[in-house]
Amino acid sequence: MNPLIFSMILMTLMLGTMATMLSSNWLLAWMGLEMNMLAMIPILTMNSNPRSTEAATKYFLAQSTASMLLMMAILINFMLSGQWTITKLPNVVTSSMALAALMMKLGLAPFHFWVPEVTQGTSLISGAILLTWQKLAPLSILYQIIPSIDINLLIISGLLSILVGGWGGLNQTQLRKILAYSSIAHMGWMLIIMPYNPSLTILNLVIYILMTLSIFMILMNNYSTSTSTLSLLWNNTPMMMIMLMITLLSLGGLPPLSGFMPKWLIIYELTKNDNIILPASMAMFALLNLYFYMRLIYSSSLTMFPSTNNMKMKWQFTNPKYLTLLSPLIILSTLILPLTPTLSILE
Amino acid sequence: MMYVVFMMSVLFVVGFIGFSSKPSPIYGGLGLIVSGGVGCGVVVSLGGSFLGLMVFLVYLGGMMVVFGYTTAMATDEYPETWGSNVVVLGALITGLLMEGVVVVYLFSGGGCELVGLDLGSLENWMVFGEEGGEYIREDYVGGSSLYDRGCWLMLMSGWMLFISVFVVIEITRGR
Repeated sequence: MNPLIFSMILMTLMLGTMATMLSSNWLLAWMGLEMNMLAMIPILTMNSNPRSTEAATKYFLAQSTASMLLMMAILINFMLSGQWTITKLPNVVTSSMALAALMMKLGLAPFHFWVPEVTQGTSLISGAILLTWQKLAPLSILYQIIPSIDINLLIISGLLSILVGGWGGLNQTQLRKILAYSSIAHMGWMLIIMPYNPSLTILNLVIYILMTLSIFMILMNNYSTSTSTLSLLWNNTPMMMIMLMITLLSLGGLPPLSGFMPKWLIIYELTKNDNIILPASMAMFALLNLYFYMRLIYSSSLTMFPSTNNMKMKWQFTNPKYLTLLSPLIILSTLILPLTPTLSILE
Repeated sequence: MMYVVFMMSVLFVVGFIGFSSKPSPIYGGLGLIVSGGVGCGVVVSLGGSFLGLMVFLVYLGGMMVVFGYTTAMATDEYPETWGSNVVVLGALITGLLMEGVVVVYLFSGGGCELVGLDLGSLENWMVFGEEGGEYIREDYVGGSSLYDRGCWLMLMSGWMLFISVFVVIEITRGR
């Protein structure tokens, strides 16, 4: 892609998210979502092959359906309340419709099917943008309308997302699909805690973005998109293998790592609100996620997969790729659990 | 007037059934054009004459017919009509039956009577027309305030049109 056009499209992508996050008018927020979607299409088809075209088409169809639903909710809300301001949605039809649209945009459970398909079809960098930056705009709208959302619907969808995000990734060998399912599960955690403590949603989002970006960057560094190529990481960049292991454990939410922080605080907040069964089942469903992260760890660092002899000579070729942001991202996504006490400023 | 709107909305749905039962793009486009034109008619009947005319001319005349329909014509050598495939036919008949059920349901059930016509539950559809009319139509005002108050929105829309040229060029380049 021409650098000038690429920068223009990236600017529009950011402009769309900014317009959605900064506007208090439904129409402008909706316009921002549309700009975001339109600018994402050429990014998805950046390396042009039939699979990426299919992914972009699927993304376009899912997102435009969601936009249409959101527009319908906005119009019904305008008809009933007579205002365009993003405030409480008084009608249950409107709020459920808006929730369905935003769930479709975020890839939450009953509407999650497009996420793995689209992520698998694109390049790693587009997948990283899709799973991180594209979550910001719909989540900011959901953050603003959350007091009027039906909480039962929200919790069912969130729990289902965690379950599906864990279940779908089992026996999966394609890394982008695994990351997409992990995204679904994390979005489920964010959705469930939102009515109780929206600050924790933001915290979970920030930490999830850090971890996902660092894993995508490790994969980009190694050009690996499947488990079999990942199993050759040990003779190419041994340190990266260890970093991948620790970052995956952090993504799974194991205690000394920073991925534990949002899970810990969310479970704490839910038990404070007298929910016992909900956080218990969430934690158990998250074990499914942990299982397939462990499979990745096993295949990348604990075993030697059968491969051709030529592949074992991969260490002879130096990797010219140098990603500046990789090391700070890995540090942030593994080591910021001790900063948890500073979160008391959020209370 | 209300009956005209009702007839048009039935036709609107029938057009949608026509293309969502998935015949070839030519006939799907035909259904879309029918329901698009009828939709413009509904908007015009309910008072948005400017909006309805604009949508009819620009959306239907320009985009649908010129681009969509000609492209659809070019894709299929042996197009599939509604009758040539049993699945398509079944979907069409199911959709029409559903629409018939809805119409019957709307007409059944007591309601107000107007000049000897039993309206059933259709009383919600009644538009008490303002014969006097206003000095300035609302949709003209909406169109002009889009340029006046919403000038930044117009700028944003213009930017998006500008960007969409590049988007279209990027995704069709090299094929």
